[in-house]
Amino acid sequence: MSKTSRSLVTMPSQAKQGDIIDIKVIVQHDMESGFRRDEQGSIIPRDILRGFLCTYNGTEVFRADLHPGTGANPMIVFSTVATETGTFEFTWTGDNDYLAKTTSQLTVT
Amino acid sequence: MNTRRRFIGMSLSVGLLPLTRTHASEEEAQLAVEKIVGKAFVKSNRVKLDIPPLVENGNLVPMTVAVDSPMTANDFVKAIHIVAEGNPLPNIISFYLRARSGRATVQSRIRLSNSQRVLAIAEMSDGSFHQGFANTLVTLSACTEV
Repeated sequence: MSKTSRSLVTMPSQAKQGDIIDIKVIVQHDMESGFRRDEQGSIIPRDILRGFLCTYNGTEVFRADLHPGTGANPMIVFSTVATETGTFEFTWTGDNDYLAKTTSQLTVT
Repeated sequence: MNTRRRFIGMSLSVGLLPLTRTHASEEEAQLAVEKIVGKAFVKSNRVKLDIPPLVENGNLVPMTVAVDSPMTANDFVKAIHIVAEGNPLPNIISFYLRARSGRATVQSRIRLSNSQRVLAIAEMSDGSFHQGFANTLVTLSACTEV
């Protein structure tokens, strides 16, 4: 089952060179904190996303470390300067070998 | 004492027992901050942390952090750490920025287990640290409910 479809990116497809563009990323994940208990009273094991990485034509432009204090279905809005036409790659990593990748194209004029 | 009173007394005392720990001790939060800043002096004028002052549900709290920085190659924000003093684990989320981020503003959504003070600590490219904080009132706690 592909997990790629579970993450979404909202960003402009075109920008002028030097513009600051806003990128909004959201990923579907429960972020099970490891503090909750089930009906039997036993602790539900922790299962969270640990990291997010955004690369722009292969160069890292933004990174985040996530902890159990991050809300379910993590959302991050950040910005970067449009320098050249190219590909953004967004990677989410987490417990139980979670990996979700999305790419997005930006045309710079 | 009649049985009813004794029962009420007992149930009250049980209710007061800490069943699970839902918040970090102040030292733990202090330790988490120390891990980030080390021995550096933390200034507090360039970071603005926006969290609603009254939060109905601590499970998903919108948060905006903005650092006053020109974001040039010589002077930019390297990292922003969000620390909640009253959460079971004080670290919430850390962002790592570059000069080419253009703007030192990040939005996200966090969990808060209690009414508390939330800290945002920014690490600048010159190695200095700045912090800002926001006080919130949480009516429904994350971690224990739902």
